[in-house]
Amino acid sequence: MTDPIIEARELRKTFGDFVAVNDVAFHVEKGEIFGYLGANGAGKSTTIRMLCGLMQPSGGAANVAGFDVGRDPMKVKSSIGYMSQKFSLYRDLIAEHNLEFFAGIYGLRGKALRRAIDRVVEHTGFGPHRNALTGDLPGGIRQRLALACSLVHEPKIIFLDEPTAGVDPASRRDFWRLIRELAASGTTVFVTTHYMDEAEYCARVGLMVDGKLVALDTPRELKRAYVPGVTLAVSGRDLHTGLEAAQELPGVIAAEPFGARVHVRFEKGSEDEARLRALFEADGRVDRIENVEASLEDVFLAVVGESAKEKAA
Amino acid sequence: MSALEIEDLHRNFKDVEAVRGVSLAVEPGELYGLVGPDGGGKTTTIACLAGLMKPTSGAVRIMGEGPMARGSQARERLGLMPQEYALYGDLTIAENLWFFGQLFGLPRKVFEERRARLLSITRLARFTDRRADALSGGMYKKLALSCALLHRPDVLLLDEPTNGVDPVSRRELWSLIYDFVSEGMAVLLCTPYMDEAARCHRVGLMHEGRVIAEGAPGDLTDALEHEVAEVVGGDREALHAVLEGREEIIAASPAGERLRIVITPGGSGAIAEAISPLGATLRQVPPDFEDLFLARVAA
Amino acid sequence: MRRSLKRIWALSAKEVRHVLRDPRSLYLALGMPVVLLLLFGYGVSFDLENMPIAFVDLDQSASSREMRQRIGASGDFVDTGVIGIEEAETRLIAGQVIAVVVFERGFERHLRRGELATVQLLVDGSDNNGAAQTRAKIEAMGRVFGFALAAGDAAGGAPPIETRTWTRFNPEGRSAVFLVPGIAAYVLAIVAVLLTALTIAREWENGSMAQLFATPVGRLEIVLGKLLPYLALGTLAVLLVLAVGMWVFNVPFRGSPLALALLSFLFISGMLGQGLFISVLTRNQMVATQVATLSSMLPSMLLSGFVFPIENMPMVLQKVTLVIPARYYVEGLRGVLLRGNGMEQLWPQILALAAFTVVMVTLSTARFRRTIA
Repeated sequence: MTDPIIEARELRKTFGDFVAVNDVAFHVEKGEIFGYLGANGAGKSTTIRMLCGLMQPSGGAANVAGFDVGRDPMKVKSSIGYMSQKFSLYRDLIAEHNLEFFAGIYGLRGKALRRAIDRVVEHTGFGPHRNALTGDLPGGIRQRLALACSLVHEPKIIFLDEPTAGVDPASRRDFWRLIRELAASGTTVFVTTHYMDEAEYCARVGLMVDGKLVALDTPRELKRAYVPGVTLAVSGRDLHTGLEAAQELPGVIAAEPFGARVHVRFEKGSEDEARLRALFEADGRVDRIENVEASLEDVFLAVVGESAKEKAA
Repeated sequence: MSALEIEDLHRNFKDVEAVRGVSLAVEPGELYGLVGPDGGGKTTTIACLAGLMKPTSGAVRIMGEGPMARGSQARERLGLMPQEYALYGDLTIAENLWFFGQLFGLPRKVFEERRARLLSITRLARFTDRRADALSGGMYKKLALSCALLHRPDVLLLDEPTNGVDPVSRRELWSLIYDFVSEGMAVLLCTPYMDEAARCHRVGLMHEGRVIAEGAPGDLTDALEHEVAEVVGGDREALHAVLEGREEIIAASPAGERLRIVITPGGSGAIAEAISPLGATLRQVPPDFEDLFLARVAA
Repeated sequence: MRRSLKRIWALSAKEVRHVLRDPRSLYLALGMPVVLLLLFGYGVSFDLENMPIAFVDLDQSASSREMRQRIGASGDFVDTGVIGIEEAETRLIAGQVIAVVVFERGFERHLRRGELATVQLLVDGSDNNGAAQTRAKIEAMGRVFGFALAAGDAAGGAPPIETRTWTRFNPEGRSAVFLVPGIAAYVLAIVAVLLTALTIAREWENGSMAQLFATPVGRLEIVLGKLLPYLALGTLAVLLVLAVGMWVFNVPFRGSPLALALLSFLFISGMLGQGLFISVLTRNQMVATQVATLSSMLPSMLLSGFVFPIENMPMVLQKVTLVIPARYYVEGLRGVLLRGNGMEQLWPQILALAAFTVVMVTLSTARFRRTIA
């Protein structure tokens, strides 16, 4: 195992009585794309803020790029790039000026600043929009600008907090292509997202529930551990009425809507396609039933959904 | 009479045509999804429907009436959940609900009944004393939706209601929406999530101010001429490298550990050839709405 | 109709909650006025005390020495000593003394003979206020001194030293009395204009105004619902200022309570209208703050007669004050509190305020639209 570039040890943050981050421990390798998932309010953003040196931990410690976040937050900040969930760009400036501003903040001047901006604009394909007013840019393009601004000083690590929220599918793919290229060239990427398909690109994924890190592994291992069994995807029309009944079938671990389809997960060996078809055809029409691989969304639902149901009970 | 009607709507802002001739209708008990990239005109359309903006030309009607007409009952029958945070952060859940209840003139008993039901479905009943700005994203959206539903509108307008909300909370919100749709509410929903589009009864794909495709999601995907396939075998990054820039490829995205690609009609042969050196083959799969979107917009 | 009232009630109740939960608004509305009053009343005084003064005694007589002692013992001045005439100018230029009193040769002789004895007063005019008060006090003292002396010699007759008429309604010339009406106007400018403009602009900015417009609520309902709590708050603030003024600083209340109530109600409404108008125009908190400050707080402080008398202003500015409602309120308040005025005397001010209110409300209603673009 190479020497980790991010390391958290029993990291803790409390606000009065409320424990937002509860003894979280993990490490991230250099050049890894590391995914950090969890429900809203689970503590992901708080963890990121501590790692970025924006918040002092209440307990525990973390090292980012070799610096202790509690003792040297300023050094941490100059070694990382951070793209926050809420936009950090000035809408009344043109894109170029936002870039200049961020480059300046990271200490770049003169020719070095120019070169850095040109480089990052080329990387992100931002050329045609350089002189556009930031507030007028469509969401997906603005995200790219925000990414460019966080990369202008060539940080070793970049923290992305839900970078593609609300962005259309085409722009999302473009954005992730950039991320993958970054990682391939050695930058470490720490990303949170609610798009589970994006999380598939991560080498390893951590899942937070109520302040605790309840799972951390590669996507494949997570699926194996948390979504055991066989998943059958039912496609057709008017399937949602049958959903509750499907949950009661023998051997069914879970039945969830997935887009227009329904995923029904059976214990291995109990899958009963015929019975499933009959059930759904009572109120709707079944076009196809097929075996599908578990996805990270299934993992999320299994891990986070379970605890949500427990709490409500 | 449809619950919601838009007739050749145009809306310009200075020199930008945000909405360029949109027409659609939503019936009672129907869930219509308006889907499309940012800046396509979805939010402007909703603003015109809610009477917050005057159309440049064309007409909008809620239960047969224009929302801006004098003495119009349209607003009483309309519920709106806007994209931005529009509730009162320094008021509690209970206080926000009370406020909207009063605004719509709900009699006390009716208000208490509906409030109780909404709080129970949204699982917010335990948090009634928490301030709105202390809620997590998902909880906040549930509250916003509840406030829009208190008066049992005939028409519900939702502008990206699940943005930034985790998968669990998203399903809960959807479950709530479905309940009301099945009770006869007409719902127009804007979303950037393709899988949500697929859960609507009908979908309108909006791009650059126009609706470029409309119909039941199943029908639309069935009619797609493009081929969609999963790549079996081969290393994902190597595959990306090979496929990038090929003109037959509309898009390539992860599907589990594999790659899912959208191919121009007739192009799968060439692609199969290109990837076989990497030990990979193509397996055709039925298209989903995201594939449809990517294909249509790339055109 | 009932539903309309319900909505207005809901809007007002919500507004009250907002105010109670935002300590800054409460402080601005209720805390700051009291702080201002105490500051002005006790701390910042226009009244003269312990002003350094020097003397040039060319007469060197018992009378000149006695006058010097009296002046020094008055408490208004501090005697810094007797100096030579050449030094007088130096001291004044250096700002070491506010004035130099020069007793000319023959001062005592003129007094004894019952002739007019004059005393030269060299005053530092760079402090307008201090200079005026110094002159007045020395003159007043001279009158007293003249009498005392005359009485001792049984000379009788007209006072041998010039005097001046003191103000009739504020005999002690206390600043607090003078300032309370102005502070009341200033406070209302803050509460009614700034806070109102801010609260509406805030709703535009965070999107909740758009949400409101999508509901059946009408424009008038929004306006009333938003403004009624600030009407109450403004009234409370004025009562607080007047109460503190009366109990702590003994500001009198000699006139008609009806006139006071009417003046205050009209002024507050006008200011509320102005706040509403600003928020309707700007829809943006930052701009609203600046416009509100410039258009209400500054004029209330500088152009209402609060601190600087209108009569002393250049002609142009005097004309400007004709459209500043605070001017009429300050005049009216002073009339009611100090001069014992009632409706008959104050109807011009009442009319002016009413006109302003009508104009503001009309303008804002015309511009307040239900659309977000």
